[in-house]
Amino acid sequence: MRFFKGKKMQNAVKSPKNSEKSDNNGKIINSFNQPDMLQNSQPYSLIKDSSPDKASNGEIVVDHVPESIIKTLESRLDHMCIKKSEDEGGPCCNTASVPGIVTQRSCVYGGARVVLMPITDAIHLVHGPIGCASCTWDIRGSRTSGEDLYKTGFSTNLEEKDIVFGGEKKLFSTIIELNSLYQPSAIFVYSTCVVGLIGDDLKAVCREAEKVTECRVIPVQSEGFRSFNKSLGHQLACDAMLDYLIGTGEMDSKLKSEISTQPTLNIVGEFNVAGDLWAIKPLIEKMGVKVLSVLTGDSCVEDIAKAHHADLNIVQCQKSSNYLARQMEEKYGIPYLKVNFFGIDDTAKSLKIISEFFGNPEMIEKTDELIRTEIETVRSKISHYKKKLTGKRVAVYVGGNKAWSLIRAFEELGMKVIMTGTQNGLPEDYERIMETVSEGTLVVDDANSMELSRLLQKYQPDLVISGAKEKYMTHKLGIPFCDFNHDRITSFAGFKGFINFAKELDRAVSSPVWKFTPKKYQGI
Amino acid sequence: MSCANVIKKERTSVINPLVTCQPMGAMYAVTGIRRGLPLVHGAQGCSTFVRYAFARHFREPSEIAVTSLHEDAAVFGGRRNLISGIGNLAMRFKPSLIGAISTCSSEIIGDDMDGFIKVAKKEMKERMGEEEAEKVKIVPISTPSFVETHFKGYDNAIKALVDNLARDPGESNDKVNIIPGIVSPGDIREIKHILALMGIEGLFLTDISDPFDSPLRPSATEMKPFYPKGGTTVEEICDTSNSLGTISLCGYAGSGAVSLEKKYDVPAAVGPIPIGVQNTDQFLRNLKKFTGLEIPDAILDERGLLIDSMADIASRYLFGRKVAVFGDPAISSGIARFVSELGMIPSVVCTGVESPEFVEEMKKVAKESDEPVDVLIRSDLRDLETHLQENPVDLMIGHSDGRLFAKSLDIPLIRVGFPVYDRVGYHRVPVVGYNGGVNLMDRITNTVFEKCYDDNEYWKLQQ
Repeated sequence: MRFFKGKKMQNAVKSPKNSEKSDNNGKIINSFNQPDMLQNSQPYSLIKDSSPDKASNGEIVVDHVPESIIKTLESRLDHMCIKKSEDEGGPCCNTASVPGIVTQRSCVYGGARVVLMPITDAIHLVHGPIGCASCTWDIRGSRTSGEDLYKTGFSTNLEEKDIVFGGEKKLFSTIIELNSLYQPSAIFVYSTCVVGLIGDDLKAVCREAEKVTECRVIPVQSEGFRSFNKSLGHQLACDAMLDYLIGTGEMDSKLKSEISTQPTLNIVGEFNVAGDLWAIKPLIEKMGVKVLSVLTGDSCVEDIAKAHHADLNIVQCQKSSNYLARQMEEKYGIPYLKVNFFGIDDTAKSLKIISEFFGNPEMIEKTDELIRTEIETVRSKISHYKKKLTGKRVAVYVGGNKAWSLIRAFEELGMKVIMTGTQNGLPEDYERIMETVSEGTLVVDDANSMELSRLLQKYQPDLVISGAKEKYMTHKLGIPFCDFNHDRITSFAGFKGFINFAKELDRAVSSPVWKFTPKKYQGI
Repeated sequence: MSCANVIKKERTSVINPLVTCQPMGAMYAVTGIRRGLPLVHGAQGCSTFVRYAFARHFREPSEIAVTSLHEDAAVFGGRRNLISGIGNLAMRFKPSLIGAISTCSSEIIGDDMDGFIKVAKKEMKERMGEEEAEKVKIVPISTPSFVETHFKGYDNAIKALVDNLARDPGESNDKVNIIPGIVSPGDIREIKHILALMGIEGLFLTDISDPFDSPLRPSATEMKPFYPKGGTTVEEICDTSNSLGTISLCGYAGSGAVSLEKKYDVPAAVGPIPIGVQNTDQFLRNLKKFTGLEIPDAILDERGLLIDSMADIASRYLFGRKVAVFGDPAISSGIARFVSELGMIPSVVCTGVESPEFVEEMKKVAKESDEPVDVLIRSDLRDLETHLQENPVDLMIGHSDGRLFAKSLDIPLIRVGFPVYDRVGYHRVPVVGYNGGVNLMDRITNTVFEKCYDDNEYWKLQQ
């Protein structure tokens, strides 16, 4: 554990349970023995480093706390840090949330679902009580250019009698029924909390159903409570693809001839939220590279089944999909490159490393030219927004990857990231974050709603980047907000997306409404 | 021909669900309490997805805590998680009430919520001092996700609140308890408006109108956004036993009312939701019955305004048009009755629950409209979609989840209910009361204009 260098971190490293949570690659280990934070923390005691000022209603006042970042639970202190110098360690991360705080985190099932759901021609069947499906169907924001079966919500609707006698029969008949209704390319079956508890044998049912239906029936062992970190769900989703899908597809003659003349790659960890993929794919194709499959944005089951034929994997969301790329390298010898298509420089760099990987001088030249012309266009189109955005301070709180991948993009607009953090960050995520942020940036892990609101009140950023759950709290504090999550409707990726991004930020920040909100309110 | 054809879903699978699970209803109910916080005893997703759903419907922050059950809890039970969760929540948020809401996992592992809460209270006293700890009420709400739906969860929550908090009756408070059901802030405000005109003080079980629609303005005393203004106070809930009566605006949430009647002789009236003329009349009759007050002119004027606009509009533009209504059983049956009052034909009404009251209401509507009504119960949106493919209608009234097939079937969808996330402001606009009737009718009529009168040659509407 090279990473945790800070003084506070050493305790975390010493604990054998903590060090079990990730190996040197930062890969999550699916462990039953999650650290029992309840034993080694004192969830009741507030920090003691100053006597809190009391407001009239007994609430603790946020400001005037000299030694700590904000008032929080003692067990939460290590999860926040301010970057001071190069070799500073990151915050403590990847531990269980404190019960009873309003964590912004989701569950393992949610993690698995977001990775697989963009597969457009598959049935995504949730094996569990109705709520798990009700609350999550069609919320991903992934766009499609063809099939739209993935937008339909499917549930086995487990009820009391199924809980008592087991849900296997119901699952089996549901799969048969859905297959005859839709003839899908595949049926992903997600397991939820209760299924893990009552012990339905998901794999066996799927195997049987596959024999009867002759359709791919793929179990996803995503019981919600398997981990505090939904990253395990990402990994389980990747496992489902690795075990049941990738490597099962045959090449037809057309594809064979294309592949023989063109280098190929898979875009891994790109989910086509708001159509991001459609800004990335054309750039790669212009370079002369064939995109064999996308895992999983705007993809079809058969494309993913053929993914093992690619020459290269490029990984966009490294949070969810580094694991997949590593496994594909091990299994099929496909090398992978980490890319980032948010921001001008990072998009250019990403394209450049792809062309350099293939090493074809013609392609390198073509790519350089492409980058030159694209950058010229972008620069001219964002200059208006840049003028208005320069100097603004941004707070970022997101699922994982974007906590670091957006930082340069903001800098390119003259903005400064003063706070960044993730709900489900792993050590490798925070390593990237600490490398990327400038000194003085606050880095926070698994912040709950009270911490977030206190941090925002204290640091008063000009803009917050996060998801729907945080949006309205931010607005109530009088701070502009820009959605960078499932609900986003504008593509932000690639060069074109960057123009949208700048426009969207300007929309948020420059709206006249902020003249009337608490920060500036002077009374009527 | 006037009959209600009850059709039940025959499929095993649920495709595009119309309902969600019990805990959501309980979370909604607890949010309507002043300084009340829901604590979900389950996995993190159980709170996250509901918070997300509330945020995108109401466009407001939603504070819901979770005990974050993990695998060790499945083996050893969620005792520590619940106890420490309650402690943390009490210490940090200083709520006046914590609704401890169970889920599928905690019910299956058999966590003894009542017992754990006792221990939690003891620990709280040690840590916070007796006085502070006493200020936090903790109410266990049993909501197994694999039984019934979020409507039942809402009912269970209201009953748990009343059963745990209502105290032995003393002097009458001259108030009327109102159980609103899962409605919008706009609806609750409209009910308050009617009560105010009547001169009655209402006691809402519970009142989400301010918590889910709160102003963005500086607050001198409170840390935003944890406690938005409004909500029913714990003291008020304790006082429900002293009210003149309890009116539940919906059939599915009557248990609390019945419990108050049995225990404390507070008379109960359950349903129907006051949508449309007759249902609102019924609501006013209930108010009159409990308080002995007369209906004031101001309300009769509002009724008259609704009838006046119905006279202007209903027969000319709406009569005979077929409508499909879906969603919440109470709201749907109210709307079905209202559209039949407008001369429209509620040819199909669809809900995700199996509810005897709903079927009874629909029989009444079929009789009144003298047209057959297909009543889909325990259904999902695919049922409705396939039904509409064979039995087309002119309009659909329901929530946003119907938007995709409404588009593919080319039927205009008027958004009402929960969730509405692809249009703004609908949570503010009431559908209940006479004013709500005017709103809803105008929306229906304007949609008909857009669908049927799109020829721009008309410089005015046909008279």
